[in-house]
Amino acid sequence: MSKYKLGERVTVRDLPSLFHTRTQGFTRGRTGVVVALRPEWVIPEDEAWGRYEGRKEPFYIVRFLQRDLWPDYGGAPIDTLETEFSERWLEPARS
Amino acid sequence: MSETHTHDHPHHHEPIEEKQEALEFTILETAIRELSIEKKLFSAEDHRRFMEWYDDIGPTKGARLVARAWVDSDFKRRLLADGVEACKELGIDWMRPTGFGTPSDYTFFIVCENTPKLHNVIVCTLCSCYPRPVLGTSPAWYERPNYRRRVVRWPRQVLAEFGTIIPPDVEIRVHDSNQKTRYMVLPMRPEGTEGWTEERLASIVTRDTMIGVALPSVDWTTTSSPAEGKN
Repeated sequence: MSKYKLGERVTVRDLPSLFHTRTQGFTRGRTGVVVALRPEWVIPEDEAWGRYEGRKEPFYIVRFLQRDLWPDYGGAPIDTLETEFSERWLEPARS
Repeated sequence: MSETHTHDHPHHHEPIEEKQEALEFTILETAIRELSIEKKLFSAEDHRRFMEWYDDIGPTKGARLVARAWVDSDFKRRLLADGVEACKELGIDWMRPTGFGTPSDYTFFIVCENTPKLHNVIVCTLCSCYPRPVLGTSPAWYERPNYRRRVVRWPRQVLAEFGTIIPPDVEIRVHDSNQKTRYMVLPMRPEGTEGWTEERLASIVTRDTMIGVALPSVDWTTTSSPAEGKN
């Protein structure tokens, strides 16, 4: 069951990622909106180590305004970026 | 070499040498491949056939998907709703892309539709994930940090370097394929293509238009050389 809903604003958590992660540095602490609910799947932090029966979580595609991602974004104010996170990487929007 | 060999051009008969040290991964691949062949896991010919197929895939399947979506709005709807299922209609199976039964790492395929107000572009900042079953092998520039680092941050500048200028009232949406989903852009059908056959439409849907760094043009295909130019 997905914790976050379509259209919900979420902030990317800056969890420690000592080894493998797919959560990009440039998204940490950034806030966007959930635009797609993706199937539950084994998280990359487990799968990368061959733990195919590891922790499974719902995934989400989150859309960010580029001007919220980059402090000096010089493109159009309407420009966006979408990328995908497993549930542990998200929390309800702080802003 | 005999007395018939003449030197009317300056060159030296240097021995042909490998100038670069082999990368660790090159050595590893060679070792594993040779051991596999020795242990009869597959044959040298199996491997050669795979590489020949792999190097040859190209973007034709993607172009056919786009052309079909342009002429058939019901197909387009199905393609946008479930990319993997719609691909099967054109004989593309994301679960068995190689036909050799190897498991597929990517299991979701999302097609991003361009509109007059939205332009999509694809990247993988983490490595170089690419929708290979429909576009084939990724271009070298797509795999380099120069593209991957910059297109997420300066998309308009990077697209301009490809000769593609998107007006500021059109949203550029960058898709960073960091998980199991693979993406492809469905470009807008250009003006002046009314009545074209699906095959002719597919010929103007080039690789770069499905990555999102270019827009299709009625007078450009990759079937004629740039010198010959136009369609």
